Amino acid sequence: MEDAPTIAAWVNPGQERTAAGDEAFRQLYQATSRPLWGYLHHATGRPHVADDLLQETWCKFLLHPIPPMDKAHTRSYLFRIATNLLHNRSRSRDDAALEYPPEHADPPGNGAQNDQAARLDVQSAMRQLKPRERQLLWLAYVEGMSHAEIAAVTGLGAMSIRILLYRARQKASAILRPQRTEP
Amino acid sequence: MKKSCEHEEFAIRALHTGQWSDALRLHAAQCPDCTQALQLAETLRQQARHADRLCTPPDPYWILQRSRRQARELTLRRVSRLLFAMRALAAVYAVAVSAWLLRGYAALQYRELASTLPGASSGYALIGAALAAACALAGLWPILHQSSRR
Repeated sequence: MEDAPTIAAWVNPGQERTAAGDEAFRQLYQATSRPLWGYLHHATGRPHVADDLLQETWCKFLLHPIPPMDKAHTRSYLFRIATNLLHNRSRSRDDAALEYPPEHADPPGNGAQNDQAARLDVQSAMRQLKPRERQLLWLAYVEGMSHAEIAAVTGLGAMSIRILLYRARQKASAILRPQRTEP
Repeated sequence: MKKSCEHEEFAIRALHTGQWSDALRLHAAQCPDCTQALQLAETLRQQARHADRLCTPPDPYWILQRSRRQARELTLRRVSRLLFAMRALAAVYAVAVSAWLLRGYAALQYRELASTLPGASSGYALIGAALAAACALAGLWPILHQSSRR
């Protein structure tokens, strides 16, 4: 498990970079990169944009001084940077690049046909949601963040998360084919 | 205004941790909100598992190198901004001093000055001053031009 204060000391400019810091960073990177990429990919629908934003997220994390924080806060902090980058991108003039791309099937032989059909359904549903709704659904249901954590990541009011999430869920469920899952 | 079930957050957390209390399990099975949320969560998690197979994050040390390069560029940009400000100040200073010197030179009593200089020396002095001013301006121009292009 990474040592968050070690990373904070290691990341901050002017601090000596130690082997322990290197190792802590490597562990944090390995634990967080894939979930971050999944979030960015889900929000943008484009793998190459997710690649760019993932690198940018880490560079921003390493460039600026951070206060010592625990593992969960470091993770939320990284998601917040990623969310801010998504917002910056949506505010930029290159709006066409942010549009959710049309759904596309995987190459033949990659996964069962039913799985692929389900994935296409999800892609189609996500395309019809607003970027903010896609982000909220992912943070809540895939990352399992609490409403307070989602508020911290998105910069929205903690009280409004519940209702926004409810609306996004209703909208997504109305579009998606019903699938039965037992708890 | 409709709101979701207040247990939804706990049901989703239980889905992630696998730690279901009997009461929560019973509630989730009966509550349409929680059932819908769990179905959607499972669908999105399948999507996440698929996305995970597509993800190939770069080596962490490559990221580290890139961030160090960005830090150097950031420092360079800050220093360049300072240099640009100093150049602008230098240009303002040069113009002000030139104007002040010209005003002072215009106020000189040429005849008295010329009478103290032998022969054509006053003419040479004027040409020398004009050449010096031209050289100063020629030197200043590329610096200012370069700064404005940045």
